[in-house]
Amino acid sequence: MPRLDTFTLEIKTGERSGPEKPNFNINGFPLEFDDLEGGTGSGETLNAMGSPQSFPHALALIGPADGQEPWDIESVKATYHCGGAEPYTIHLGAVTLDDESNLNIWHEPPLPTFDV
Amino acid sequence: MPSWFKKVFNNDVAKPAPRPESAPVATAPEPAIATAPEPEPSAQPEAPEPSITEIEGGAKIRKLLSGHIVIPEEERLSWSEEIRIKACPDEEGATCTFMLDRPVLEGLSAWFPEKIWAKDVCSLAETLFKIKGVGSVMLHDTTVTVAYAKGRIDDWKALAEEIGTAIREQLKTDAPVIIEEFREGVPPQDEIRQKLQSCLDMEINPGIASHSGVITLERIDGNTIYITMGGGCQGCAASTITLRNGIHTVFRKAVPQIGAIYDETDHASGTNPYFKELPAGMA
Repeated sequence: MPRLDTFTLEIKTGERSGPEKPNFNINGFPLEFDDLEGGTGSGETLNAMGSPQSFPHALALIGPADGQEPWDIESVKATYHCGGAEPYTIHLGAVTLDDESNLNIWHEPPLPTFDV
Repeated sequence: MPSWFKKVFNNDVAKPAPRPESAPVATAPEPAIATAPEPEPSAQPEAPEPSITEIEGGAKIRKLLSGHIVIPEEERLSWSEEIRIKACPDEEGATCTFMLDRPVLEGLSAWFPEKIWAKDVCSLAETLFKIKGVGSVMLHDTTVTVAYAKGRIDDWKALAEEIGTAIREQLKTDAPVIIEEFREGVPPQDEIRQKLQSCLDMEINPGIASHSGVITLERIDGNTIYITMGGGCQGCAASTITLRNGIHTVFRKAVPQIGAIYDETDHASGTNPYFKELPAGMA
């Protein structure tokens, strides 16, 4: 498991908007994003950067607060910067988070491929 | 001696704090995790989200959704005149998956553990078995997965080149990859589900119940099987062995026509992962 220095998220919101300032947690520790640009309103895109500087056994985007409306996420583009290695990116499809759910945003670096 | 060790054996352990589902692996072994930076007081939101407070206190259990990984259009292998193939060896060097820009076996999967299984059934697998080092062959949709005959190999490059060339040459012949009787012999999905569920209920799950494990048949696509491993199996280091030596064997005995069996478990999360009983402060 690599050490995750920083990661960025590009979250596109669908119909129902999300929390104004979403947070994430790493291994149970809730943290704020360092930078937030854009928004989570309907149809908006939020760019967020997190700096966990740690080994992510679990990394999650926290869903809406208790009692809040569900958040329709259209897509998430996550880019990970791990301990000097080349950054890598994954794309997640549509998902709806409610006040009882978080979104797993940790994905191990992809296995290397080559053309044959 | 680690501090958690002293605490445990001096009965100085506080009752383990309930761990929120959203952070199922809070007992991380790396010191860096245990000391993961808390937000600076100045960085705290003025009015913290109630959900975060609840998670810290462990009062609220949240589901952890996996989301579906998608490949953007621009990154997909596009159909070309020449058959494009990418090779992807696994971390152990035991298998190599070949991803093609077109279907090899559309809608089905087929597994050939030995050369004799492929004879007069699958022309592509027969061709691949002629290559020294090919131990088994799995076809599924746009992928061909080959296991090395002698366990593992440090560098797949040369062998992968040879396999890639063989796949390309075989597909150029336009000969059917697999005989029609194979397709016709695949039982209806309801029948497969019924037989595999029976295996789970009567044989597999009772056997792993002592480990608090449970295997769930998630879905069947053609003759491709998707399962999840829950309870004590989730995150267990032996789960791969359980899957390969136990579940595969029992399932294939019940329904010989099944092809690929995939484990969709997120082994690092859940409500009851294998290592949940670590004492508080052990991380």
